[in-house]
Amino acid sequence: MRRGSDTRLIHLGALLAAAAIALSFPSMAPSPYEITVGIAILNYAVLSTSWNFVGGFTGYISLGHGAFAGLGAYGTGLLVARAGLPPFAALFTAAALVALIAVPVGYAALRVRGASFVIVSIALVLILLLVFQSWASFTGGSRGLVVPRPFPGMLRAEHHRTFYFLFLALLAVTLSAWWVIDRSRFGMGLKAIREDEDKAQSLGIPTYSYKLVVFVVSAAFTALAGGLYALWFGDLDPVFQFSVLGGAYMVLMALLGGVRHLYGPLLGAVAVGYALEYAKVEYGDTPLHLVVAGLLLGVVVMFMPDGVIPAATALIGRFRRSGETSIREVTAAELRERREQPNRTEVKDGERSGT
Amino acid sequence: MSEAAPESEPAPSLATTGLTKAFGGVTALDSATVTFHHGKVNALIGPNGSGKTTFFNCVTGMIRPDAGRTAYRGRDLTGRPPHRIARAGIGRSFQLCRVFPRMTVLDNLLAAVRPHGLAGQLARSGRREETERARDWLTRMGIEHLERAEAGRLSWGQQKLLELAGVLMSEPELILLDEPAGGVNPALVDRIGDLVRELNAEGRTFLIVEHNMDMVMSLSDHVVVFDRGRPIAQGPPQVIQSDERVLGAYLGI
Repeated sequence: MRRGSDTRLIHLGALLAAAAIALSFPSMAPSPYEITVGIAILNYAVLSTSWNFVGGFTGYISLGHGAFAGLGAYGTGLLVARAGLPPFAALFTAAALVALIAVPVGYAALRVRGASFVIVSIALVLILLLVFQSWASFTGGSRGLVVPRPFPGMLRAEHHRTFYFLFLALLAVTLSAWWVIDRSRFGMGLKAIREDEDKAQSLGIPTYSYKLVVFVVSAAFTALAGGLYALWFGDLDPVFQFSVLGGAYMVLMALLGGVRHLYGPLLGAVAVGYALEYAKVEYGDTPLHLVVAGLLLGVVVMFMPDGVIPAATALIGRFRRSGETSIREVTAAELRERREQPNRTEVKDGERSGT
Repeated sequence: MSEAAPESEPAPSLATTGLTKAFGGVTALDSATVTFHHGKVNALIGPNGSGKTTFFNCVTGMIRPDAGRTAYRGRDLTGRPPHRIARAGIGRSFQLCRVFPRMTVLDNLLAAVRPHGLAGQLARSGRREETERARDWLTRMGIEHLERAEAGRLSWGQQKLLELAGVLMSEPELILLDEPAGGVNPALVDRIGDLVRELNAEGRTFLIVEHNMDMVMSLSDHVVVFDRGRPIAQGPPQVIQSDERVLGAYLGI
């Protein structure tokens, strides 16, 4: 029990420290450029956390989440540019529309498991890419869609700063939603699906409805990230909005950090996002950033299939446990207590046999 | 509960009529019509490949029968998805025991809790009442000291007990056990047998597929024998033991 409240304090402290750094980052940044890197990383973090609603809870790996980001971006852009909606009304309307679209998409895609689901999700992105490229009269096609700025009078630096905080707020909301589901009974059902879907169903969990609901929630958050990006960046091109690569980045970041953890995708986004931006700046137009991403994916899959967070906790746990099992003085009271609960040693046996 | 029903006319529990399932050219279930008794320990036996597991999978909705109907206590369940059948009060274990391997033992049980309404869905998992109920089941199985261990790291026998605890947590009236004594040491076979007897005395109906004849004969009130996808004999264990058709099916005479 004591250790439980200790870790809770540590968590809270780490959370406050991270929040303080994130909030003060814009005022410490030497130039607006650093703020744009911050925005890019926050955008990745929201996307990856949104992806993790499906990937982390249910274990269904979607490579097609780029489609929902693209639809959110184009939906927002088109509602502002063509329908004249106020920017933030457009953002939420677009996310709601994407959630609606995600219902039939999920209905079809979630019928298949494993590799088939991955293929179906990729197909969705490629279809949308073709549609948005060919339907140039409406979407602007490959020439792009210019989205009017939401704050017309604002200077560029101030614009970046504002969007940095908007992305940070969206990240906070997305993380909170993931946290609520993670500790809920609904979340427990979703995790049961990840472990053994047939078994979950045999216990009475309506697996199909559960998957569909969380898929729609995931799509809606992804669309919000895409829409906010559209309002910030102001120029959309189908090739970048509907890219399999975008979806693959979300997967890579979540896997790198650890899909079973609230902060896994965020951590992955900071690492991968920074590496990508660095490679782009230093090596310009070469595809080196893709090599970096590929290498990272390789390292994760080979050495840390559960991500950085579990790998790190396992390492810490190893040090702690070695302290526990080494020979040391034991008081008679401790011995008596231990004898009264013979179970504790057995737990350790169980843990040891698995490691 | 079982005492209330007269011995001659037990109330029907699970019942099938003309249940048929073929895999390619192999007929696993051949128009099987069978009724199990409510409040009793029922056993389903038969040689390998006689369709016992296919029968389990059909009545629990895991696979769709080609023809025939399934009913539970008079209510038609044909073609329902597995979670609906579970919610109708039928729980099951799997032939090769299945737990959620990367969840803790306690979470394995908490995952079997059925929430109601949106508020229930989003409520925190593992509230006091649920956790206490889960711990009670773990204590009953004798694995309460493992509640924080990862389920996949338990021994085979412990996993079998955990699977049963999980099924019980979902509060079924009828429990289908597919080879509860499979791959388990003799002491644990006795233990599982005792548990079944106790749980039956508390009002739960059992249907057990099992190859361990000692267990079947000592435990069950009603035995159904399958051969080539259909029942060839049924009755109390004493009668079944001396039935010529049963001996023929097992020994190939």
